[in-house]
Amino acid sequence: MTETDIIKKAKNGDHDALTELVSSYSERIYNLALRILRNREDAEDVLQETFLTVLQKLDTFDGRSNFFTWLYRIATNASLMKLRKKKLVFTELPDSPRHPEEKFVDWSQDPSLNIQNKEVKKIIDESISQLSEIYRTVFILRDIENLSIKDTSKILNITEENVKIRLRRARLFLREKISDYYEGSEVAA
Amino acid sequence: MKSPLHQDVYKQICDFMGEDLDAPACKEVAEHLENCPNCKVVLDTVRKTVTICRENEKKEAIPPDVKNRLYKVLKL
Repeated sequence: MTETDIIKKAKNGDHDALTELVSSYSERIYNLALRILRNREDAEDVLQETFLTVLQKLDTFDGRSNFFTWLYRIATNASLMKLRKKKLVFTELPDSPRHPEEKFVDWSQDPSLNIQNKEVKKIIDESISQLSEIYRTVFILRDIENLSIKDTSKILNITEENVKIRLRRARLFLREKISDYYEGSEVAA
Repeated sequence: MKSPLHQDVYKQICDFMGEDLDAPACKEVAEHLENCPNCKVVLDTVRKTVTICRENEKKEAIPPDVKNRLYKVLKL
């Protein structure tokens, strides 16, 4: 049975079809929410909210967009609502590296920079948490979930150009955070 | 062809990192990188950043109690 058939059955209230949809996508939705919100309880809330919305609005899904894109949009919006309620304060990100006149240190080939290194893992977790929602969602959808620029723009309802701008700033911000750590630890070593 | 400035290279990072390699701007960036080690370091370290972040964000299985509560809420 194709996904279109399953969705059709689910729209008619078929219990098994609904279970199949939830079973197929719940892990991806849970992980998406966890990556955006960085908190397991919040991710569980978003998981439940997302599928409750799906059950309520499945009859409005007209099949013009991909079901996965539609579902991700619901989950991303639910995650964003939760993130906004926390009222965290974030700073705007620049378009280029700080101090571009300096010679940059190349740590791209250093094998010690991996997440088995607890300090590196901590830096990554903290740095992603410091990204404001508009940068974090783009970075998670494009670079972590590996979605295309096009799908990311559809899910977030922003232009592809805007996706690229946010993605560039998020990538450069995270790069600088790792650079700061690397250069600090290098000096200390 | 006029070589792009460093700032322009940073602006093309997304396209250069696999989105639209055939775009004329990407070809200019490629030429610039051959002659600008500093910009090459930025690009290489951005790539490494994405790789490390991907490793960090490994997929987790849904805990059984979370799954049970989901099915209960959905009455499935």
